Amino acid sequence: MSSRSSFIGAVEIGTSKISVLVGECSGRELAIIGRGECASRGVIKGVVADNRAASDATHSALEMAERDAGERIDLVFLAQSGGHLEGFYNEASVNVKASDNMIESGDVRTVCDLAKSKELPTGRMVVHNIRRPFRVDGRLVPGSPENLVGQRLEVGYWTVHGQEQRLADHINVIRGFNLEVRELVLSSLAAGHMVTSPEERQHGVLVLDIGAGTTDFVLYRDGGPHTTGVVPVGGTHLTNDLGIGLRLQEGQAEKLKLRFGRASVQTKDRAQKVWLDGNFAIGDRQFSQQAIEQITAARTWELLEVVKKKLGGAFSPETCASGVVLTGGTAKLSGIVEVAAKVFGVPAHLGEAPTWVSENLRDPGYHTALGLLYYGVSVQAEKSAANRRHSGFFNGMKRLFTHA
Amino acid sequence: MNENLPTIPPAQNWRTISQSVKPRAMSRGGRWRLFTAGLRLTGVTLVLGGLGWGAWLVSAALQEDPRRIPVAAKAVSMKAPELETTRDGVLDQAWLARTLELKSGVSLMELDLGRLRERLLLQRQVLTADVTRIFPDRLKVRITERSPIARIRIEADGGQCDLVVARDGVAFLGTGFDAAMLASLPWLDVGLARDGIAYRTLVDLEQVARLLADAQFSAPHLYQTWQTLTLVRLVSDDEIEVVSKNRTTAIFSAKGEYFVQLAKLDYITDQLASKPYARARIDLSLGREVPVMIEPLVPVRPTRTVTKPASNRFPTAFSVSQLISKP
Repeated sequence: MSSRSSFIGAVEIGTSKISVLVGECSGRELAIIGRGECASRGVIKGVVADNRAASDATHSALEMAERDAGERIDLVFLAQSGGHLEGFYNEASVNVKASDNMIESGDVRTVCDLAKSKELPTGRMVVHNIRRPFRVDGRLVPGSPENLVGQRLEVGYWTVHGQEQRLADHINVIRGFNLEVRELVLSSLAAGHMVTSPEERQHGVLVLDIGAGTTDFVLYRDGGPHTTGVVPVGGTHLTNDLGIGLRLQEGQAEKLKLRFGRASVQTKDRAQKVWLDGNFAIGDRQFSQQAIEQITAARTWELLEVVKKKLGGAFSPETCASGVVLTGGTAKLSGIVEVAAKVFGVPAHLGEAPTWVSENLRDPGYHTALGLLYYGVSVQAEKSAANRRHSGFFNGMKRLFTHA
Repeated sequence: MNENLPTIPPAQNWRTISQSVKPRAMSRGGRWRLFTAGLRLTGVTLVLGGLGWGAWLVSAALQEDPRRIPVAAKAVSMKAPELETTRDGVLDQAWLARTLELKSGVSLMELDLGRLRERLLLQRQVLTADVTRIFPDRLKVRITERSPIARIRIEADGGQCDLVVARDGVAFLGTGFDAAMLASLPWLDVGLARDGIAYRTLVDLEQVARLLADAQFSAPHLYQTWQTLTLVRLVSDDEIEVVSKNRTTAIFSAKGEYFVQLAKLDYITDQLASKPYARARIDLSLGREVPVMIEPLVPVRPTRTVTKPASNRFPTAFSVSQLISKP
């Protein structure tokens, strides 16, 4: 163990389960050394509803992960989901200050500050400010516009914000284990970072992380996140629909969904039956396969339609050349890929972790936690690099004169 | 323009949410982590504090009362101290033993290195001294020595005592130097005041040292004849008067180049060698002009002694232009 290593915990407090991964981070290198998993309690649609129950479950998963890693976690990157998260787009533009029209860092800072400074309603807090590419006189600039020549500099930010109380509840669950939350990362961003390649993000790709309580989505365009969102509908709703439609208890409905649920109706024969337990014991019941498929397909179709509606004009098959990538526990539902392709009118496929991820972490249920680690570490590395760039003696002196 | 843009405060970020939490709001696992973190901090503080306290105790014991040193530390008796001196140094182990006066069977921890160093530096032949303990039983003494450039005779305790002087003006006994080497050094004709038990350091001796070094290097045959250097007019006129065994007095200017003056002196001395004279005075301090005054030999009259007036001691004088065409 290196003395300069820090041990980072990636925690996803989901509606059905809580996943924790422990990464050993030394500089820009990251190694996953432990994991913990626990059935979730006290969380409804991605939001902490019962602090005590959610804390107990989360702390169990954390303890399990620490035991597995053999190290104590130093800090936590926490995934954030839930229906309270919303986003909006705001853009700003400035005239370039220099007489020779060369864009300086001051112009960039001003336009970024303006684009980020839209006031939020009371009780709302910013989770992410996602910058879209700069434009100089209407021309798209993929990187930094500094030292380019132009008259007008424009930039837009997709701001993700959530309810302060809900965010605090999430953080308090982790603080209850005496751990610091260093980064709060949107679940969709974390999962999207893991299941898409930079080329896909450049060409445009939509990532759907369909969990138990929520469906998080992120649309990438021009190499970066363009639009994000959360729909408070997930796999649990399919279970509930089955429970109501077939008059089943939750556990039984879940079992039927996992075994016979489909995102599209394939069974033509109405008389085709399936057994609940399959052991023909007392209490075992028969159900129509077609009825099960009709219920799950209707809800799945509706869910995907809701996402498409939320995306609105941001999504079009032309701007999403790399198609749709599905991840999350509910993405394992049979036939969902084909339905997604039909709804969005673009190719769809199941998200896969990169080849270097070990076999036991390749399940879609771990994509968010894995992405949390890698997204968090890369964000931290970028921040520290930026701090190093701006903390030099010359920059310090420059700032002194600028603010004088 | 950008200057006229309104300043809008940035929206509240999730990082402003307080992450402080009371222990009672923590779970059992959280409280255990808090407890172990506190325990670890206390442990580290105690260890560091203990180390600091121990170091302070030891240093205090050594400084205030060496008898408080633990018996175990005194158990190992020390070997004879080792001396390491400069390459041309002459001081030896016997001198070191005499100077340090260490008791037999003394242990390394009982020594007061500061006092030993002071004792070494009292011997003014020692320029710098460094005394180091090498555990478990060795004491290493590193010194640099002063080199003598001239001799000086002083009045001490009703008698006379000969000392040597280093180029920094410090007078010392010159222990261990070869007697023939000491005898070859010229004498300094200057008074040496006392400062307590030691003698005061001679000032402005750097010029004299430079003259002697130049003479040794470029005109050793002249240097060997030099008997006395008078520094009476060094401060006032920047002049050094050198009296040779062959009764020639040369006056050097401390401001000028010694090599040039030595070359002139060498030439004039060669010219004078063929002329018998009682005494000669060669003034090299005036630049190109070198006045040379010669007192011719007086024939010995056994019947009566003639005493000449002081003003006529050097009746013959001629300019260097008569003697030197080119220096």
